[in-house]
Amino acid sequence: MTRLSPGALRILALLLVLVLVAAFFATQIDNYLNARLFNRISSSVAIVALIATGQTLVILTRNIDLSLGSVVGFVAYATGAIVSAAPEIHPVLLALAALAIGAGFGLLNGLLVAYAGIPSIITTLAAMAIYRSALVEFSGAQSITTEDLPQWLVDFPNTQLFTLAGVQFRAAFVAAVVIVILVHLALLRLRPARALYAVGSNPEAAEMAGIDARRTVLAAFVAAGALAGLAGLFFLARFGNITVVAGLGFELKSIAAAVLGGVSINGGSGSVIGALIGAVLVDLIENSLVRWELVSEFWREAVLGFLILSAVSADALLMRRLTRLRIRREKAAPAPTPKEATS
Amino acid sequence: MFKTLGLAALLASCATLALAQAKTIEPGQDSGGMVLLPKFLGILVFEQAHEGAQEAHDELQDKGELQFLGPTPENSVAGQIEIMTTAGTQGVGAVMLSNNAGDQIVPAAQAAAQAGTKVVTWDSPIPNGEGESVFVAQVDFEQTGRVMADMAYDIMGGEGQFAILSASPDAANQNAWIASLEKVLGEDEKYANLEMVETVYGNDQSEESYNRALALVDSHPDLKLIMAPTTVGIQAAAKAMQDEGLCEQVKVSGLGLPAEMVSYTLNGCAPQFALWDFRDLGYLTTYVAYGLATGQLTGEVGEQFTAGRMGDYTIEADPGREGARRVLMGPFTVYNKDNVEAAAK
Repeated sequence: MTRLSPGALRILALLLVLVLVAAFFATQIDNYLNARLFNRISSSVAIVALIATGQTLVILTRNIDLSLGSVVGFVAYATGAIVSAAPEIHPVLLALAALAIGAGFGLLNGLLVAYAGIPSIITTLAAMAIYRSALVEFSGAQSITTEDLPQWLVDFPNTQLFTLAGVQFRAAFVAAVVIVILVHLALLRLRPARALYAVGSNPEAAEMAGIDARRTVLAAFVAAGALAGLAGLFFLARFGNITVVAGLGFELKSIAAAVLGGVSINGGSGSVIGALIGAVLVDLIENSLVRWELVSEFWREAVLGFLILSAVSADALLMRRLTRLRIRREKAAPAPTPKEATS
Repeated sequence: MFKTLGLAALLASCATLALAQAKTIEPGQDSGGMVLLPKFLGILVFEQAHEGAQEAHDELQDKGELQFLGPTPENSVAGQIEIMTTAGTQGVGAVMLSNNAGDQIVPAAQAAAQAGTKVVTWDSPIPNGEGESVFVAQVDFEQTGRVMADMAYDIMGGEGQFAILSASPDAANQNAWIASLEKVLGEDEKYANLEMVETVYGNDQSEESYNRALALVDSHPDLKLIMAPTTVGIQAAAKAMQDEGLCEQVKVSGLGLPAEMVSYTLNGCAPQFALWDFRDLGYLTTYVAYGLATGQLTGEVGEQFTAGRMGDYTIEADPGREGARRVLMGPFTVYNKDNVEAAAK
């Protein structure tokens, strides 16, 4: 019998909640469980998953980034402006520009939080408004339209890489999942990335262990900004029409996804895979609520909030149940040999 | 080559010409300063309105300053109330408001009015009309319903299901247009086979509107048309249908900007849509606001005036809002594959 780590258990619990939510809505909505649902959710998760991953990195260090939605909007517009001015630009160069602009915003946030010592909720609350206003100013009320964009960019999000029984795996979604997995592996294996957990769970101890906590926090904000920047480019490709409201509210959605995904708001624990599943869950709930006739437009936000609370509680309960089950089994089964335990 | 509608509006202005009592608004006076206050900053149509307002302001040689002040998008309601309050306390001559705050703006508008500031609304009025001097209506709200019904009738071949993708649930203009569409559908036998199945809101955000449009298609397998009376919603819906290869099955129509809609109209995703000229709206609004602020207009029902290059208008009772007054601009232009390219330039 293989032992599951607490992290793996949490993912399992989350997947169960996901199935429960889908099963519930399947009883409420006609023509619900089909390939189309997957295509819808996966296309919009591609963007949110990147932001939620960035948000997770910041939350792991006991901070929060409320400016990510504004960064997404700004980068979506800025990359749109770049590509309409220089349509021949190489895709890789454009992606690098998106990452760089996002990282620049993240750097600002990180410096203020890590080195000036301003609490992240205050810094990024101000940054959210400032970046958004910068976009309003920068755009001069012009919007980017699909007409301005090269065809490869517009085609990118919906390019089907492969299809399984009508379920389409589209380029943007696959790219986002690959990035999330890479970040996940980095967090598992790389020493500097492990520092995020150390700083988040106990900053003093981390300092004593020789970790530069300030630099770690700064790095988390820069990475979050860069990921939000990439999400901005995905946003531009998917929606084509970019006005100053682009990305509004994504900061809250990313926090919801991370928290639903089991990332502790107190820092130090959680995984980006969890945040990805959290993003799927938020999107599934949102998408389903729109189609659920029982809920009127005006109550939808409230129901969404309620469902998020229930999902978090259900997740916590399941988690506890699974942990208890494991402990009981371990007691019943002979203790694993050290070799098995490392697997 | 524009297929123009709005005969009523044309007849009304002809009648005005016949009476020929229109006041000429004298340039060169001091309005005391005017504030053009859009729903929020950063949307093309409001910028166009600003251009029109600036044109009129220059023409009128207003000694007061014209300011274009608006809230940021995430702060629209509170920001509008704040700007209105500040304008009132500073005692500017007039505030030109595209209201996004529903009746919540009333206390601030009333306070401004009591301080002597004229509150002229445009694009979207104050629903109960309190605190407002006059509303410059882009089109007759009743007529909007008929224009949308006609486009739906044409595109759907006279029968089938359609749904509405609107802006926010408390946008006064969109709500009035949807109400008038429902009224027209209910009253006129011609539209008896058009069935309106649902109204959803995309809050004038691309991603929300895009997702709502797809959800409509998923919820209603027989849907033939999405009607979006908002420039953000219509193009998001058209892009969603195009991206998912649904344009053959579900068409998109509503109110849109030619520059943003041209490709969807040419490829058949959005065969017809309508709009009015926001530059003209800003221009006319500025004439009205300047006239009121300088005391040349009183704002009484029946008062007639000449608004520069746009000709003569009359202040009349607003049929949609009891006790409120309006100036009707009109008419609509309906765009299709024949005229959209020229208009997009």
